[in-house]
Amino acid sequence: MNDPRRPVYFDYAATTPVDERVVQCMVECMGRGGCYANPASSSHGPGREARGRVEAARREVAALLGAGPTEIIWTSGATESNNLAIKGAARFHADRGRHLVTSRIEHKAVLDTCRQLEKEGWQVSYVTPGEGGIVTAAEIERALRPDTVLVSVMFVNNEIGTINELPPIGRLCRERGVLFHVDAAQAAGKVPIDVDAICADLLSLSAHKAYGPKGAGALYLRGSPKSRLEPLIHGGGHEWGMRSGTLATHQIVGMGEAFRIAAAEQAEEARRLRALRERLWQGIAGLGGVHLNGDPERRVAGVLNVSFEGVEGESLLFALRDLALSSGSACTSASREASYVLRALGRDDQLAQSSLRFSLGRFSTAEEVDFAISAVREQVNRLRGLGPGGDERSREAM
Amino acid sequence: MNTQTVMVDYSPEVQHRFETAPRHGRVLAAQGERRTGGAGEIARGVRVEFEMRVRHGRVAECRFRAYGCPHVIAAASWVAEHAEGRALDELEWLQPRRLAELLEAPAHKLGSLLVVEDAYRACVAARPAPGR
Repeated sequence: MNDPRRPVYFDYAATTPVDERVVQCMVECMGRGGCYANPASSSHGPGREARGRVEAARREVAALLGAGPTEIIWTSGATESNNLAIKGAARFHADRGRHLVTSRIEHKAVLDTCRQLEKEGWQVSYVTPGEGGIVTAAEIERALRPDTVLVSVMFVNNEIGTINELPPIGRLCRERGVLFHVDAAQAAGKVPIDVDAICADLLSLSAHKAYGPKGAGALYLRGSPKSRLEPLIHGGGHEWGMRSGTLATHQIVGMGEAFRIAAAEQAEEARRLRALRERLWQGIAGLGGVHLNGDPERRVAGVLNVSFEGVEGESLLFALRDLALSSGSACTSASREASYVLRALGRDDQLAQSSLRFSLGRFSTAEEVDFAISAVREQVNRLRGLGPGGDERSREAM
Repeated sequence: MNTQTVMVDYSPEVQHRFETAPRHGRVLAAQGERRTGGAGEIARGVRVEFEMRVRHGRVAECRFRAYGCPHVIAAASWVAEHAEGRALDELEWLQPRRLAELLEAPAHKLGSLLVVEDAYRACVAARPAPGR
């Protein structure tokens, strides 16, 4: 463990540290001696050099998806990509229909975008995932209507790490002439992505979930058959008019390098993380009263989401403050909102509210996992002991 | 998780009581001296139980058990500690707003602190339980 004063990091699904190799590439694009020129300034050498690095990054991102470079649009991150994909497609195709389909366990960047479209007159069907939190083609098919123009389903769920059955959903959409959008923010670098195999027309990516910088992302926009969007940002006509604004060379180059590394190291990294995750699960499960959330097989290597019987979520998170991780509760109100994803999976309030998401990543070690096991076992036992059903600490009557 | 977990800043008082849980547990009391009471539901995120040994109409000893956030655990601990020596019908000292100030709890925790008060009131109002 690197720094004993800092909590041990188990929140790689929230964000990742930027890989040092990525930092190096980014720094080269920032200072006076570097590649800082505007990539749109094709009239001079520095501008053309910057454009060259942007296009090289575009090729790296496209390669990770099995896509062509001209199918990649730079954005500020997956949230913007999701907005551009969903609002852009819905508005462009409004004359064909005003119905969308998505699932109840999507990221808020998708759900809130759909809610906004509902306010603007679209109708949205929210599909409940099947057992284990997997969104299936059968459920999507039931929700399709003649006026459906877009289906949006995430590749990997951000809370529980489950991998959805995308190829049959994509084929279904292709057959019905419905655009298929995939939020792949949690998938890039964790599982192989092939946009043709999943028949995706639109696919959202984020750099910072894959050891790249925050503030950088991309949207895959299928070239053939060509997907059409109405842009959200106007001015300058950058990115084929789909997303105007001066390109952030250093961010884009960082994303390109992060995705190059991901393509090269994904398989080995997944194997190592799967072993660490299993070590963590075995260590925690021995406590008893611990529930694994999400399908035990169809999930990414680094995510373990568990609920604890008899333990309140906020107390557990505070008791485990030597670990940096996420909880299923957001204790921002008196109502104690439990995770909407776990509720959609049928978990009761107590279990949904007492969940923890451990997400391991490139720099996680067995020593850190063992530290987490020890801390969780100690604190869960202590908190259970404090509760109404806990161990007795009797005192002699005076 | 929506990954939007919000960690509250906890006061030193809350941290101390959360870590050490003074007055946690049960009492041993003779027949007619033991009272128990509780409020809240685990399913709703807060459950607090008090148990006390009562002699000559006064709380001789008080213990708590709690399922809840750190503020709830700290509040239950503080109430159990400060109940001892008081007459059963002495209740004005227990004010959720004062508890919130004492623990530097954010406004949205007031509902949980009301459960702590309800649990204590249920305990002092309860009929004597069998001895232990």
